[in-house]
Amino acid sequence: MDALLNLLPHVINGLSLGLLFALIALGFMLIVSVMEVINLAHGSLFALGAYVALVVVGSAATPGTYALALVVAPLAVGAFGLLLELCMRRTYGRDPLYGLLLTFGAAIVIEELIRALWGSRERVLPLPEAISGAVLIGDLIYAKYRFFACGIATALIVLLWLFIERTQVGAVIKAGAYDSEMVRALGYDLAKLRMGVFALGTALAAIAGVVMAPIWGIRPHVGVDAVVPAFLIIVLGGIGSFWGAVVAGLLVGLVVGLTGAYASEWSLMSMYLLFIAVVTFRARGLFGRKSMLEA
Amino acid sequence: MNDHSEVDQRRRRTLLQAIAGGTAATFFGPWRVNHAWAQAAQKKPLVIGLTMDASGQYAASGAEERLGAMMAIKEFNEKGGVLGRRIEAIHMDTETTPATGSRVAERMITRNECAFLIGAIHSGVANAISQVAQKYGCVYLNSNSSSPTEIGKDCHRVKFVWDGNGTNFAHAIVKNAINVNGKRWVMLTNDYVWGHSTAKAMRTLVEANGGQIVEELLVPQNTRDFSAYLLKVQQIKPNVVATAVGGDDIKALRQQVVQLKLQRTAAWVNNQQDWPDVYGLGPEAIFGVFGTTWYYRLDLPGVKEFVAAYQQHYPGMAIRVPGNVYHNGYMATRELLRCVEEAGTTNNVAVIKKLEGRKMTARDRLQHYDAWIDPATHHCEQTIYMATYNEQPAEKDDIFKILAQVDPKQVLDAEAPAACKLESYESTPTYEM
Repeated sequence: MDALLNLLPHVINGLSLGLLFALIALGFMLIVSVMEVINLAHGSLFALGAYVALVVVGSAATPGTYALALVVAPLAVGAFGLLLELCMRRTYGRDPLYGLLLTFGAAIVIEELIRALWGSRERVLPLPEAISGAVLIGDLIYAKYRFFACGIATALIVLLWLFIERTQVGAVIKAGAYDSEMVRALGYDLAKLRMGVFALGTALAAIAGVVMAPIWGIRPHVGVDAVVPAFLIIVLGGIGSFWGAVVAGLLVGLVVGLTGAYASEWSLMSMYLLFIAVVTFRARGLFGRKSMLEA
Repeated sequence: MNDHSEVDQRRRRTLLQAIAGGTAATFFGPWRVNHAWAQAAQKKPLVIGLTMDASGQYAASGAEERLGAMMAIKEFNEKGGVLGRRIEAIHMDTETTPATGSRVAERMITRNECAFLIGAIHSGVANAISQVAQKYGCVYLNSNSSSPTEIGKDCHRVKFVWDGNGTNFAHAIVKNAINVNGKRWVMLTNDYVWGHSTAKAMRTLVEANGGQIVEELLVPQNTRDFSAYLLKVQQIKPNVVATAVGGDDIKALRQQVVQLKLQRTAAWVNNQQDWPDVYGLGPEAIFGVFGTTWYYRLDLPGVKEFVAAYQQHYPGMAIRVPGNVYHNGYMATRELLRCVEEAGTTNNVAVIKKLEGRKMTARDRLQHYDAWIDPATHHCEQTIYMATYNEQPAEKDDIFKILAQVDPKQVLDAEAPAACKLESYESTPTYEM
């Protein structure tokens, strides 16, 4: 019984971590599934979001400035995403390596831009009093902000799902992912659609950057810490699967959280082991669509 | 084509191959062991390879030690260089990755003709660089990596280690922490050579002083979420949490501890706290007691001038005042160049002999006690400072309160000389650029 009681906080912690991982992967998943572009600049856009929040919040954090950061950062980074998408147009329909190289180059440019604008040193995003500090549950202390971050992650997951599943634009986006030629034939402007999706994906990366900033800290290369798990999660969940990404995020969080507590040296490795285990037996990921090549 | 022309062509090809082979043999022949002909005779610039991280876990510290080395080089160049040669520095990013460290060292020695190599924060990187340096005989200064293994089993004839190591800091901190805070300790240890060897030294001293390590949690490099570790710490309820965590990992850890206010429920001891890893984190995040080798507000002659020179030469830096990492980078480079000057040559054995057993006054190094280089381990034994957050800062950057300064004689790593097997001079290739 004691062992179970000891385990419970770690399960809850793992699930909360999983929600944050899912949040990080959302924008990446959207761009990959609709545009079939692996956006290696996702991490740098994540970092850029955190830095924009730093500017908006300034030194005196209030609920107002923090809320404003959650709006301004995705708008600013989304606008940047629009520019990036314009650069990417020449790569459409060509070897995917071109898109990969372009986004890789963009990642380096953004990181260096951050260094030039804000310097290399560590930054801290101050939090409003209302969501900082700790709460006592049982005899354990939890960070209040972590609950807040999980709340935002949950809200965004639900909102994005509603947008894709319950709106006409979402239906067109989904259709574009399945058969872009047919969408074009029906009179939709595919270029605008791609641009919108890319901007939305980058805006989501920025929100994730803002939300994770008080937990991970802010430094120019913080994006590297985001892009690797994001990529792993969408492949693990099955490319193109919304709920696949969410479930994979939760699984990764759970595995990392539990190994962190009981086999700490394996905590980072555990997500890769999980990935290998799943992909070995199910190459298309947990919820990936069956390939035409599969029997 | 007739038979004659075919034979002629074959002969021509053979001749060309022979010439090419001969040229290559002449060119590459002495490359491996002796480079005396390369630069010295022609008064070419003396090239120093800076093997310092610009990315990865220790990017911030890598940038700081680079500034320190560059300052020392600048000062020498203003005096006319060394041995009448201008000093040039080449920097390549070692990426906080041992494999990159090896590659960079190999390239700097074989292609860039670097006379000396300087730099490292990560002990795995330092070890990798030093293996390559030893292969060629190139003198290498490990300026800032502090794993006890660097002066123990991984020591080399060509390598000199400048930072205080995990054992020195553990000696300075453990006994007092047990007496003041209690005997139940949990360790958070970065899962690589520095973390392991430092934790081993801590464990030995904790147990020798009647304490108990109730749990050791290994922290993989690049861990960003410490929630599982911190929950575990709460469940164990130790008296002391001893960390051997560095770089970006300690920055994230400190911020997450503050969010949970865990700095109030247990005493925190960080074996060594590098200045760039704590600068800018905010007062709350600088909790606990930690070790360092220098502070910019030490009340000693020359410190103010040293700080002023940094600020004048590097205006507008994000880190406005120099810290221990900069200090080590500067002192190591300056001492090496002095040795070259004294030796009158860049010959590796001559320079090594100048460095071995070298004594440096406290005043010269801006510290409280004299320092020296142990000839048996090639370790620079220097003053160790214990510090905590300064509740009454005299200015914005005055974030450390120095609790004690410890004579290096009191915190020597006694096991290192037995573990260190330096290569003989004879088996170390001659190297001179």
